[in-house]
Amino acid sequence: MATDEFNYPARMARLTARKIEQTKAKLAALGTRDEDDYGLVLPPASFQVELPARDATGQWSGPRAWAANFRWLMENHPCYIDPDDAIAGRWMFMLSRMRLGYQLSRSNFAFDYSHLEPEQKKYDITPGIGKDAHFAPDYQIGLDLGWGGLLAKVREARLRFAREREAPGVEAQGAAPADSAYALELLDSEEQAILGVQAWIRHLAAAADDRAMSEDDPARRANLEETARTCYAIVDAPPRTFREAVQWIAVFNMASRTYNRDGAGGQLDELLRPYYERDRAAGILTDEDAEFLVFCLLLNDPHYYQIGGPDADGRDQTSPLSYLILEAAGKLKASCNLTIRVWDGMDRRLFRRGVEILLANRQGCPRFSGDKALVEGFMRSGYSAELARRRIAVGCNWMSLPGLEYTLNDVVKINVAKVFEVAFAETERPEDLEKNYVRHFRAAVDVTARGIDFHLAHQYLNEPELMLNLLSHGPIEKGMDVSHGGATYYNMAIDGAGLAVVADSFGAIEERVVKEKALSFAALKAAVAANFEGEEGARIRALVQGAGRYGAGGTAADRWAVRLTEILRAEVAGRTTPDGFKLIPGWFSWADTIRFGKAVGATPNGRLAGEPISHGANPLPGFRKDGALTAMAAAIASVQPGYGNTAPWQLEVDIGLANDPDAAEKVMALIEGHFALGGTLVNINVVDAKKILEAHRDPSKYPDLVVRVTGFTAYFNSLSPAFRQLVVDRLIREAV
Amino acid sequence: MDGMAERGVVFDIKRGVAKDGPGLRTSVFLKGCPLRCRWCHNPESQEFEPERAVTTGELCGMETTVGTVMEEVRRDKVFYAASGGGLTITGGEPLAQPAFTTALAAAALAEGIGVAIDTSGFAPWSVFEAVLAAAPLPAAKQGSGTASAAPLADLLFLYDLKCMDDARHKEFTGVSNARILDNLRRLDKVGARIWIRCPVVPGLNDSDTDLAAIRAFVAPLRHVERVDWLPYHPLGLEKYATFGKTAPSGLPSPQRT
Repeated sequence: MATDEFNYPARMARLTARKIEQTKAKLAALGTRDEDDYGLVLPPASFQVELPARDATGQWSGPRAWAANFRWLMENHPCYIDPDDAIAGRWMFMLSRMRLGYQLSRSNFAFDYSHLEPEQKKYDITPGIGKDAHFAPDYQIGLDLGWGGLLAKVREARLRFAREREAPGVEAQGAAPADSAYALELLDSEEQAILGVQAWIRHLAAAADDRAMSEDDPARRANLEETARTCYAIVDAPPRTFREAVQWIAVFNMASRTYNRDGAGGQLDELLRPYYERDRAAGILTDEDAEFLVFCLLLNDPHYYQIGGPDADGRDQTSPLSYLILEAAGKLKASCNLTIRVWDGMDRRLFRRGVEILLANRQGCPRFSGDKALVEGFMRSGYSAELARRRIAVGCNWMSLPGLEYTLNDVVKINVAKVFEVAFAETERPEDLEKNYVRHFRAAVDVTARGIDFHLAHQYLNEPELMLNLLSHGPIEKGMDVSHGGATYYNMAIDGAGLAVVADSFGAIEERVVKEKALSFAALKAAVAANFEGEEGARIRALVQGAGRYGAGGTAADRWAVRLTEILRAEVAGRTTPDGFKLIPGWFSWADTIRFGKAVGATPNGRLAGEPISHGANPLPGFRKDGALTAMAAAIASVQPGYGNTAPWQLEVDIGLANDPDAAEKVMALIEGHFALGGTLVNINVVDAKKILEAHRDPSKYPDLVVRVTGFTAYFNSLSPAFRQLVVDRLIREAV
Repeated sequence: MDGMAERGVVFDIKRGVAKDGPGLRTSVFLKGCPLRCRWCHNPESQEFEPERAVTTGELCGMETTVGTVMEEVRRDKVFYAASGGGLTITGGEPLAQPAFTTALAAAALAEGIGVAIDTSGFAPWSVFEAVLAAAPLPAAKQGSGTASAAPLADLLFLYDLKCMDDARHKEFTGVSNARILDNLRRLDKVGARIWIRCPVVPGLNDSDTDLAAIRAFVAPLRHVERVDWLPYHPLGLEKYATFGKTAPSGLPSPQRT
């Protein structure tokens, strides 16, 4: 319980309680939101946003406008100071969502792509055009240089491009020829962004110092003074201590969130290890101090961090700091996205401890990635083992090479249930259905790939990545936005969504129509077209619903799921975009199963029109009478896309198993078994069915209930009722 | 005869089972039981023939082969290996279909899959011998001639003990416990791995005397690895009506647990 004492456990308890209050306030002010908690807090009610670079329609685009608005936000950003916290600041605004007409599913984009829209709509494609972030920064760049060093780097590059402009022929660094006018505008804008961040850090320092002056309690006052000192120290210089490094990362995270919601983290144990070791050796940091600082960092924002796993040379990176980070996450009773990389050479104690914390806390944290299939897959995409090992779990479903890669991860989706619907509607004989599906899927990938090219051709003018450019290798040096030639590698992600709906539909047709002849194809088509209405519709629906499902093991639908994955691989990984960019396939629906479902009529698996599609690579609830987790694990392992991106397993473990004295071993075996069969990522909830049902009836009853919705975790009471229902259906039916 | 072609009546196969034996398991439920335990929560397992639920018309139990069952059992090999799990043959009473159970156990063991046999112990000793013959001898025993130096690897008996008092055993289960207790002593003597499981039913066999008698019987046995006291749960009671049977009376009601 929170007491007035100023020790770490009491401070953690008060910080956690405050976070729950902030979540309640956000819920009241912003309504339910089916997405990540993000760690943002509400600005003071009196605060007015007056962005300087907005046109009459409420829009802006281009580096200068983004920089001007961002700098204004940073310079005027309210300074959140909590005497219990070791970190100064919370973020409050998302600039990318302040453009008029913003929608989560469709970004504002200053360039017309209406020539692509009819086909995008036909196949219910989420094209990702104008989407931002969704690739990983290399924090090492910022930790090495500090804001002052980054500023010097930007100014040095600008000078180079200015000289080149005056005297053409002086070569800019980097292979691709840069548009020097754009380079100058971009680098000017980067400078503005950095100056904005530096101003905010100074403000935070001053605010902490102010607060210290009015604090009577000596311990609290000392903490606030140390916070102020830390902030002043990192305005220009690179961080030198563990606390400065933690504050530096938090500042970057909050600024990058404010810019455009970016939430990618990094290999946190390795990033912080030098500071930890130095401070420990110097006797200025205890393990308790370090754990509390990491606790504050994780509380500040649920960025995606990885711990453990191999380094580039294949040596295990687990260190005492990895454990410390894990324990800090274990003490955090809030949304947290920590991933442990599971591999052959790992420290098994870290894995085991992660599972124990997951079972004890029941907050969906940590989660686990499978090194073997990820490395083999990325190598299949044409990269070395060294690079493949450095491609880490720093997003919802996604892996990225920190600072090297531009990906549009998790924002480009093809709703395969919609593709199937189009193919099914024009098919007269069941033997033609697969051929028609492949043809339409190919067309869907075509238009998606052209959309990616369109994004890559224009996004740098629409919304440059002013924050993530700074922590990428290339954009500053080359004077090119990361979305437009600045990155080292382009591996554009395309995810399919709705696998189980389509596999079960193909399976039901094969079983009931082709093999058993219990039903004619024409009768099935008529029933599907009529949304299974009437007595005959209900009879046909029962018949197709009784067919073997994807996930049951050895069914026609299981074989179709594998076949659909082969089609995904062939059509996505087997080609590039028209402009020559590499494509990497995945299966993942994010939290969009309701939206995708609304676009699709009834399907031959018995799903009614408008009902949600299946989640990620998971089978549909009820896929087996016993709901066997091993069966689910094997099925999802069998549909892995195989080129370095994931098809995550969303696993719900019943509290009954969690109470088994051997629960940790059994859950470890499930995870390791899945990875041995080729799995890539496991997101786990430990489910107390009774509690979740009660929370669904009365969300205010459990304000601290956190569930892993998908790649991200969220407070259950922050989700919309329809979305809560979906989570309840999945959790309760699958966990039994 | 090819063991894979051996036929038996199975009423359910559950994968990913995290109880009834170590690790993650596949449980194969064989139909038919010679006992009629008053607390039985699987009334659909009692008759040897497939039967239909009177309420839903759903068929319970079907004749199948060891080969067909093994196809399902093999699917989770990677999880058995990762967890130390395997196949559980349960029921009903698996030893009441001796040829099928022996062939299924032999097939799994031959493929390196550990087997647990969940039994009431009520079967002729010859049936136990047949099942034991399917299990590989542990390395320690081969050629050394020192019987029971190490337990038989990969084969585990989940062995029920219900009541030491024979008259009340008959009253509760319909059969004497003499054969059951004798088989358990012999199993222990040959070095089989044994987990004792005792269903504890309030008001029937949960007195201190009853529990002490079980402990006293088990104490001298050398290969009993653990004793689990299984709390009674009334979940199966409604299933009696489903199969047109009369639920036993005198049991604790659901509210009590």
